[in-house]
Amino acid sequence: MPAATQLKRGKDGSAQAQPADAILVVANITKRFETPDGVLTALDNVSLTVAPGEFLGVIGPSGCGKSTLFNVIGGLVDGYDGRVTVAGETVAGPHPSIGMVFQEESTFPWRTVIDNVAFPLEIAGLSKAERYDKARHFVHLVGLDGFERRYPAELSGGMRQRVSMARTLASEPKILLMDEPFAALDEQTRLLLGDKVLQIQQELKQTTLLITHNITEAVQLSDRILVMTYRPGKTKRIVDIDLPRPRTSEIVSSEAFGRYVAQIWNDLREEASRGLIDDEARKLHSGDKD
Amino acid sequence: MAQTGQLTQAPAALPGLSRVTLLRIAIVLTILVVWEATAASGLLFRDVVPSLVVIVRALWNLLFEPDFYWHLGVTAGEVGTALLIGGLAGLAVGIALGANRFLSQAFEHFLYYLGPTPKIIFFPVMIMWFGVGSGSKVAMGTISCFFPIALSVAAGMRQIDQVLIRVGRSFRANTWQMVTKVYLPAMRAPIINGVRLGLGVAIIGTLLAETKLSNRGVGFLIINSYSTFNMPRMYSLLIVVFVLAIGANAVVSRLGNLEAIKTR
Amino acid sequence: MTAAAITRTRAFPTLVGVLALVAAIALIEVLIRLGAINRFIVPLPSQIALSFERVIVEEGIPERFWLTLREAFWATMLLTVFGVGIGVLLHRIKTLRLATETWVAAFASAPTVLMYPLFLVIFGRSANTIIMMGFVAGLAPVILKTVEGLAGTRRVLIDVGRSFKLTPWQLYWKILFPAALPSIFVGIKLGMIFALINIVGVEFLINFGGLGQLINELAERYDLAGTYAAICFVVLVSVLFFMFTERVERWLRPVN
Repeated sequence: MPAATQLKRGKDGSAQAQPADAILVVANITKRFETPDGVLTALDNVSLTVAPGEFLGVIGPSGCGKSTLFNVIGGLVDGYDGRVTVAGETVAGPHPSIGMVFQEESTFPWRTVIDNVAFPLEIAGLSKAERYDKARHFVHLVGLDGFERRYPAELSGGMRQRVSMARTLASEPKILLMDEPFAALDEQTRLLLGDKVLQIQQELKQTTLLITHNITEAVQLSDRILVMTYRPGKTKRIVDIDLPRPRTSEIVSSEAFGRYVAQIWNDLREEASRGLIDDEARKLHSGDKD
Repeated sequence: MAQTGQLTQAPAALPGLSRVTLLRIAIVLTILVVWEATAASGLLFRDVVPSLVVIVRALWNLLFEPDFYWHLGVTAGEVGTALLIGGLAGLAVGIALGANRFLSQAFEHFLYYLGPTPKIIFFPVMIMWFGVGSGSKVAMGTISCFFPIALSVAAGMRQIDQVLIRVGRSFRANTWQMVTKVYLPAMRAPIINGVRLGLGVAIIGTLLAETKLSNRGVGFLIINSYSTFNMPRMYSLLIVVFVLAIGANAVVSRLGNLEAIKTR
Repeated sequence: MTAAAITRTRAFPTLVGVLALVAAIALIEVLIRLGAINRFIVPLPSQIALSFERVIVEEGIPERFWLTLREAFWATMLLTVFGVGIGVLLHRIKTLRLATETWVAAFASAPTVLMYPLFLVIFGRSANTIIMMGFVAGLAPVILKTVEGLAGTRRVLIDVGRSFKLTPWQLYWKILFPAALPSIFVGIKLGMIFALINIVGVEFLINFGGLGQLINELAERYDLAGTYAAICFVVLVSVLFFMFTERVERWLRPVN
């Protein structure tokens, strides 16, 4: 095993980060769903912590419950065992300190870029002048100067995701929670946007939790990576990414980078193939039912 | 590329007029000629097909008759009020049904199956409840337009991209903010389409009620011209009503198309 | 089943809806008996229910129903023949379609039923007026759907036909028409619905015919409970008719 990687396991067997002043604590989350085929356990006793200013990547195969975890932390889902705390406060519904960036296209098509970004400020009740001032700052931060008055339909997919990101950042959350924000984009755009995210995160010292299935992206952006198992989702391993900061997308060509990717893929492959077999079995079975 | 266009295009008989336009003109002219011929021949009972000249003259008189505009105002007021009441009620009910699956499964069927029934048969009841004046006409218009609007809005609610709702909730928007800043803007196209349909049936409901029992409004004028057997006047009134109804429909349609382009 | 499980079944919401309706009717009955609602404006629901039998027997509902049905039948025949015919014509002659399609669409949104006084003059107070009004009301959707169905035939199917050197006539009969049939049936369904609405409405307005006329007559006789009963009856017929057309459409859909 490469020396640069460290495994961390807490006393109770769950993977933990050490900092006692963690800003986000996810403790023993178990979430089950009722489906026509029976009870599905999406998450099984998942725990993690995120320190202030840290970039945590969460990676796992499709079907590992990543999106459920996203919704649990974001407070959009309830009925689970366990607790999520942000800066000491328990999460019970969308929390002002948590900002969410969704996987799908989520810009409001009827609002201009600047109006999209100003949305959370509008909800919070800021005056028009204050809203636009702040919104403009964040539009600039994501590199979309000049596009303030354009509609999302006039922008590319990558630009629209930047608008969604700017909108969430405008609410100045303590924790930025992102669910595969670049899933719909091509590889090169992803790398470049990854650069942008790194840049922003470094400038704002933004605590970030990124959920993804893309290993390159996870290693490129994260300080630590949490690898999840296939359903029921559990934490498999936590990997410290000891790549230098500040980083750019050039890091993808370094040797250390390659080793991290290989190691994580090693863990993931096992889970991903379990997922594939399960999927095929289900498709076969549903064919019988008809 | 322009040259290929010129090669494949059929030669127009006149510069600047396409075949389609020519055909349209030809059709209109044919109809007018056949009409005039029928009028002149006396084949049908003379006054049923009056000469075009007579119709145009009646139309002209109508448009310069101040009384006509008063009646038009009455009808417009009734239709407008009906659309307002029916529209708001339809919007509220539609949002409730679209947002809540249980309510939708329990009650939407009623609206769906009650929709395609002839509302004019409720007119005697409306008269009992609201009197013989404008009240019963507004009531007719209201129950006519309520259904298509409520159903359009309910369907529109369900078609909203779910992620947009999650965005609103993730920013902790309260109910009023969700409705005004997320639901309504996201539904502009179906709402406008519902209003377009609602406008059409509100006009029909109100005018039919006026023809049945009223002493005011354009519907009254139409039935009045029937009882006085003033056919040219009836034709002019019908022409005006049709032009206004089709025009209003086209305007709202255009609005809807613009919104649909702005939305995904 | 547990209470929680019952609430999750498909039938539960529908049941709640029906119960809510029954409860509302019961509430109205109570309010009228208490005098909160004027019983000369809204008759007792129980009285309306009792009037059903009287109306059906004394007012000749079966004959009236049959009359309205005959009018609807003839209107539908006209709709099918002329609607589909014109639709095919418009599809066949491209220039004609381009010239008139917007006109037909505009006609679809026009308040044609307002022409009933005109039709009264032309056809007199007779079943013909009613049939024609139904026909005119339902014509536009049939034409539009026919054109849509024919124009929407997948290109590849037409190419198959042309590769077998079918004549234009054969192409229409063996490929375009069958492919367009689902759309045409939707159009006829829409046309029938509009026709029926207008038929019953015009019967009411001109006080001639079957079910629609009954409502008018009972209203003019100030038979309150009877009027309400007749209206309920007509609504019931209309709903059943609509459900029937939906069933037929769904039955035809798998062919697509």
